[in-house]
Amino acid sequence: MSLSTLDLPDPHDGALRRLSDLLVRRARLLTLLLLVPPLLWLGLVYLGSLFVFLGQSIFSIDEFSGTIVREPTTATLLELFRPANFDIVQRTVAIAAVVTLLCAIIAFPIAYYAARYAGPRVKAGFYLAVMMPLWSSYLVKIYGWKLLLAKEGAIGWFAGRLGLGGALEAWLALPLVGGPSLSVSYTGMVLTFTYLWLPFMILPVQAALERVPAHLIEAAGDLGAAPGLVFRTVILPLAMPGVVAGAIFTFSLTLGDYIVPQIIGTSALVLGQAVYMQQGTAGNVPLAAAFSLVPILVMALFLTLAKRTGAFDAL
Amino acid sequence: MRDPAQDFAQDFAQRHSSLTTLPDRLAMHAPAPPPVTPAVRFAGVVRHFGTVRAVDGVDLAIAPGEFFAMLGPSGSGKTTCLRLIAGFEQPDAGHIAIFGESVEGLPPYRRAVNTVFQDYALFPHLCVGDNVAYGLRVRGVGRAERDTLAREALAMVKLAGMEARRPAQLSGGQRQRVALARALVVRPKVLLLDEPLGALDLKLREEMQSELKSLQRALGLTFVFVTHDQGEALSMADRVAVFNEGRIVQVGPPEQVYERPATRFVAQFVGSANVLGAAQALALGGAERPSSLRPEKIALLAPNATPPMGAAVVEGIVEDVSYQGPVRRVAVRTSGGPSLVATVPASASGVAIGDAVRLAIPRAALQPMESEG
Amino acid sequence: MHSRYLHLPALVACASLTLQPALAAEMTAIGPGEGQVDIVAWPGYIERGETDKAYDWVTDFEKKTGCKVNVKTAGTSDEMVALMNEGGFDLVTASGDASLRLIAGKKVAPINTKLIPSWETVDDRLQNAPWHTVNGVNYGVPYQWGSNVLMYNTEAFKGAAPKSWNVVFEEQTLPDGKSNKGRVQAFDGPIYIADAALYLMAHKPELGIKDPYELTEEQYKAALDLLRGQRKIVQRYWHDAMIQVDDFTNEGVVASSSWPFQVNLLVSQKKPIASTIPAEGATGWADSTMMHVDAKNPNCAYMWMEHSLSPKVQGDLAAWFGSVPSVPAACKGNDLLGADGCKTNGAEEFEKIKFWRTPVAKCATQAAGCVPYYRWVSDYIAVLGGR
Repeated sequence: MSLSTLDLPDPHDGALRRLSDLLVRRARLLTLLLLVPPLLWLGLVYLGSLFVFLGQSIFSIDEFSGTIVREPTTATLLELFRPANFDIVQRTVAIAAVVTLLCAIIAFPIAYYAARYAGPRVKAGFYLAVMMPLWSSYLVKIYGWKLLLAKEGAIGWFAGRLGLGGALEAWLALPLVGGPSLSVSYTGMVLTFTYLWLPFMILPVQAALERVPAHLIEAAGDLGAAPGLVFRTVILPLAMPGVVAGAIFTFSLTLGDYIVPQIIGTSALVLGQAVYMQQGTAGNVPLAAAFSLVPILVMALFLTLAKRTGAFDAL
Repeated sequence: MRDPAQDFAQDFAQRHSSLTTLPDRLAMHAPAPPPVTPAVRFAGVVRHFGTVRAVDGVDLAIAPGEFFAMLGPSGSGKTTCLRLIAGFEQPDAGHIAIFGESVEGLPPYRRAVNTVFQDYALFPHLCVGDNVAYGLRVRGVGRAERDTLAREALAMVKLAGMEARRPAQLSGGQRQRVALARALVVRPKVLLLDEPLGALDLKLREEMQSELKSLQRALGLTFVFVTHDQGEALSMADRVAVFNEGRIVQVGPPEQVYERPATRFVAQFVGSANVLGAAQALALGGAERPSSLRPEKIALLAPNATPPMGAAVVEGIVEDVSYQGPVRRVAVRTSGGPSLVATVPASASGVAIGDAVRLAIPRAALQPMESEG
Repeated sequence: MHSRYLHLPALVACASLTLQPALAAEMTAIGPGEGQVDIVAWPGYIERGETDKAYDWVTDFEKKTGCKVNVKTAGTSDEMVALMNEGGFDLVTASGDASLRLIAGKKVAPINTKLIPSWETVDDRLQNAPWHTVNGVNYGVPYQWGSNVLMYNTEAFKGAAPKSWNVVFEEQTLPDGKSNKGRVQAFDGPIYIADAALYLMAHKPELGIKDPYELTEEQYKAALDLLRGQRKIVQRYWHDAMIQVDDFTNEGVVASSSWPFQVNLLVSQKKPIASTIPAEGATGWADSTMMHVDAKNPNCAYMWMEHSLSPKVQGDLAAWFGSVPSVPAACKGNDLLGADGCKTNGAEEFEKIKFWRTPVAKCATQAAGCVPYYRWVSDYIAVLGGR
């Protein structure tokens, strides 16, 4: 039998096949089918509950009975501006900003090496090394850092061994960043956060750098830009969406965290703890909701500013 | 109406000779070279990638103001040679000089050459104007001056008024012109073009070919042009270097390369000639050397026609006919000889598969080659 | 087991709750067991030997009565109240704040103490304690109580127990010759304001503090001022018992308000740690077992309440939890607790302990009214923030 005379039977025409016919002809129906479950989940369950909770912030708590007064008022939102509460907002945003900056500074060279120089084997090792800390328990890591940062912990011991004990003491004697020991200072808290969230910065930055075509870097050099200038004018702007994506992670994760500050730091509350305390132990759901609005507003502001500065131009 | 390209060329010449208006550190180490100094010179250049010898002992001299094409199939080493000139690669052995100055160890940003990349490599985060002005910006040219220069350069490539666009908003041909303007605005001594027309459709490609050629003529600049398209190389270049397996197998003016291919490879890669063995060439009245025979030199004789003077006549059976627009390509199995391909005017009708035909082969059309290789 | 402590200050402001007896009738007789009993409890309060074989006060009860014990642990008083409001449970081991809310919410039934033979063995001082007795009606069976203690490092104090809480409130040189600055801790819950008030009761009698949970504006302000001064010498406000243990081990902390649990743990690790209740007294807590008004298994519930008062259960639990039995007889002859167990956990200090209650606006001891708990929360947050 030759190829020209070969007579193949048609494939069996089953119900699934007919369904496929329908979906192929009506691409919109397929899109709809694919999107409905996640949209229901996101829209109703997730966003719905979030907005119901946030909506509480327009109510207030009756000072005497502690019950929630369900009449719209701005009193609760204005409470945020009471000095003690506004301290919490400023403190948390400042910590998140420093953590984000530190993450970006540490992550960039690592991501750059992985994206541009590492071979396939090194890259596999790199992914493993970056991801591995994410596999162990978050609490274990925090307790580990507490031990590292303790007065009689590993960092102090090493500093002493290297003759840097004096430098550590001098740092701890500084007014804002210091304290009785690293584990009860802002320095310790920022270091712990930076360690915890670093993978969330490295991975998007690395992905962004990998998408910068090698030709663009060559072109910049070809046009006369020395490496430093190439970095500033081409690589950094093109990697910026990755840095911003990473910053969204590190910034919002720091804004929302309430476990690390319980274990490491100065005992001064951050937003997450304030929400927890107001909602959980004080029963002041409206104020907790008002506090919860802060990270959302801060992130919105952050993204707006990032867009203004052209961080997304290369998208 | 003045031609912007003319303007640019005049301007270019002025600036280039005075070297004062452009704070170009690249220009500082280049005193006026004697006229005989080649623009680019390769001496025994070797470049390996692992065990692959991508460039395997290339000697080359490109004259100032020349339009020089590097032609070859992919992997033949032509692009690596271009990258060696640009400084993206460093030779493992041999020497490269640009206008007499050794460029050994010099990074790309210290070389007075610029490249137009195959994928154009436009900066996606910058607008067209800033893309073109990039090379000026890194040299510290002030905003106002570089905007003026960028505008002029864009006008030269017929993209006036496109400054504010993003590269993503341009067509392929437009991007190609932006890349060209960006490379030319910094007044390179040599312009390197890496398959710049490869991604364009046929019509645009032909248009750009003539534009590039006239631009090069107007600027008097040395162009080094890498391509795998023999038609492009032949039509544009002053001289063509044919690359194969890391070596240059033939250098010369297009006519020479086409008419007198040095090797079997050149004969077949440039214009797909028939290649005959020494005995076959002898039998057709040529020298007893391997020879090439261009298909268009072979004539199809009408049944009763007498063959022209100095032509051998062979008989054969038509194996295949394909219509190619202006010509028909006819493959003929000659009796007792090789299969030959002839191209005949498309108007010559009536040739069908299986027909017995007679071919007239002028003796002068047989071009002996250096070797079979 | 200790995580309940984390939420000790879980007081919900309930300033204007009017406490009225529930209308549900008391039980008059115990019938046959229903086969099971569902209890909401603090983690570690009801052990069946799963963590440590020696600590099991459930298995015997199940064998004896045929009532299977189902425990639902709750981490905060709020959670307990929520679970009881949902229903489906028979008993709850409620702390001071939850107990009064449950009574006010009519979620718990009066207890007929005549049906609990061991009732007579309960410490007299606890039988009608105000956190489970309203208008003379008993709504709970005392389970355990405990005291906050001053935990200290015996090396820093040269073996002599500090006599006053001033070692954590005021900057001073400790017996080891070094300042206490950066070496003391305080609790991070707003209820700690009461500890400051207790200290002021002794040291500034002119303020006229009668009860550390009932503070006038002036008294409250004085307490906050004391706490603001304390902020400058505090190394960290502790929140988690295990972290405090670590801080006394690795961070050079030498004195803090603490619980017997941490003391026992550090002593068992042979650390130079001891505890004391200074002259000013201390704050503390007391829990009661209460029955749901709609309990499906009331007979088993009564059997459990009786069982919960047996000296063995009370003694074992005290040893496990670092608390004090409600039944004094449990202190003697319990292997797990040891001869001095009750004393270590603060049994002799009952009179010195101010059991915590929710601060309310209308208070008994101050005619001018008191600062409600709502404000304690926001002001203590400010103190922690250094304001």
